[in-house]
Amino acid sequence: MLALWAVSLVSTPARAARDLLQLFVSQPYLELHTGPGRGYPVTQVVARGESVDVLFRRTDWFKVRTERGVEGWASARELTKTNLADGAPFQVKLGDRAGFASHRWESGVFAGAYAGATLIAAYSALSITDNLKLEVGLSQFIGNVSDGYIADIGLAHVVMPEWRFSPLVDIGTGYLRVEPKATLAKPLDRSDPVGYVGVGGRMYLTRRFFMRGEYRKYVVFTKTNANEVNGEWRLGFAFFY
Amino acid sequence: METRIRLLLLSIAVAACSGCASMHWPWHHPKSDAASASASTDDVDATPPSVIEPQVERRKIKVPKIRAKNVELGAYYGELSIQDFGAQPVAGLRFDYHISEDLFAEVTYGRAKGGRTSFEELSGRVQLLSDAERRFTYYNLSLGYNFLPGEVFVGRNLAMTSALYMIGGIGNVTFAGSHNFAVNFGAGFRVLPTDWLALHIDVQDLVFKSNDIGVYQLKNNLQATIGATVFF
Repeated sequence: MLALWAVSLVSTPARAARDLLQLFVSQPYLELHTGPGRGYPVTQVVARGESVDVLFRRTDWFKVRTERGVEGWASARELTKTNLADGAPFQVKLGDRAGFASHRWESGVFAGAYAGATLIAAYSALSITDNLKLEVGLSQFIGNVSDGYIADIGLAHVVMPEWRFSPLVDIGTGYLRVEPKATLAKPLDRSDPVGYVGVGGRMYLTRRFFMRGEYRKYVVFTKTNANEVNGEWRLGFAFFY
Repeated sequence: METRIRLLLLSIAVAACSGCASMHWPWHHPKSDAASASASTDDVDATPPSVIEPQVERRKIKVPKIRAKNVELGAYYGELSIQDFGAQPVAGLRFDYHISEDLFAEVTYGRAKGGRTSFEELSGRVQLLSDAERRFTYYNLSLGYNFLPGEVFVGRNLAMTSALYMIGGIGNVTFAGSHNFAVNFGAGFRVLPTDWLALHIDVQDLVFKSNDIGVYQLKNNLQATIGATVFF
């Protein structure tokens, strides 16, 4: 048993080494920095034909290990000039306009107003296609009369994802919780389902960032006879990954 | 004598074999004739030679996925000076996502408990807030900028990457029984002893407008914390 355990201990690093991506340098040399940033000094170079193992990625920098066991950081842009073991060029997604048009995830933060109350909101979206996104959002509003939260899920349609500025429309449903301010005669806390439609736009800024603004109309399905309709605008920053 | 006989036999064998190669046997492949014929015509017509298709299967390489370690998760502890309610210990959780080498997004959640105001101390029994209302909780959604990235050297053999960053954002402060829209801004220092561990020192101001005492007042709540995070 002990022997088996010892064997597994010995074999683990070998297995781990096999799981790493091996890249072959095809330009005259590959520069390795001491840290994951453009300002960190270059202390190692890997010559053409030699290989590096990619340990992990942090933002657009990759920690690599050379054949001699030296570790350093290589930029994504530099690594796109290397080849895989079968000779095919190594490809990596960079934060640029192409990524803005086509990506899997995005997240962002908004400030705005919901029915006159100050709004703080955050969202994440999964791209089903480049045009269609499944969005999940959480917002809190802080007003003079009451505070509250909204949790929502919906679909957003980006009309022209490849344009720098593109309009978008969305529709969804969620749940609203209202907490009246303690200073007033205290009515009960209210939780109601809501539905919304929105129209807005998004604009690419730089790298992985874009701005997003939107106007939404919420319908609160109250337990009373009349439904409540509230307007909301929000403006914020988002990034894709 | 014996070696001479061997040499003789060997030379006969070699001569016989070379003769075999030059002969046209009936089972000899006729393609070589065609090929040599076409080669001779190629020379005349100067058309490009036909491409040789290798019979080797292209090796399929499984490309291992590269692990992305852009997320930091951790906790912090320090002192929060709640305006009018004294400096109190504060503890919180933080989540960071590194978007680029320069920028990161951060979500923090912290809690502290307000002390007694000087008015309460002097007047003896007066309680401005109940115990539950003294609880100070907040969350921030911030964007940080690593404006001074660098390295920290400990002795001759140890270098750790580090960064001085500025951070600012929006969020909510719940204190004295009410929610308040808050703006936070500050600066911090991050150092990474290993690739997966980061230590932080942060100073931030949480600013919000409150009308606890009947008039709207801008409240500044300075916070100094130390923390540790793990990269995922």
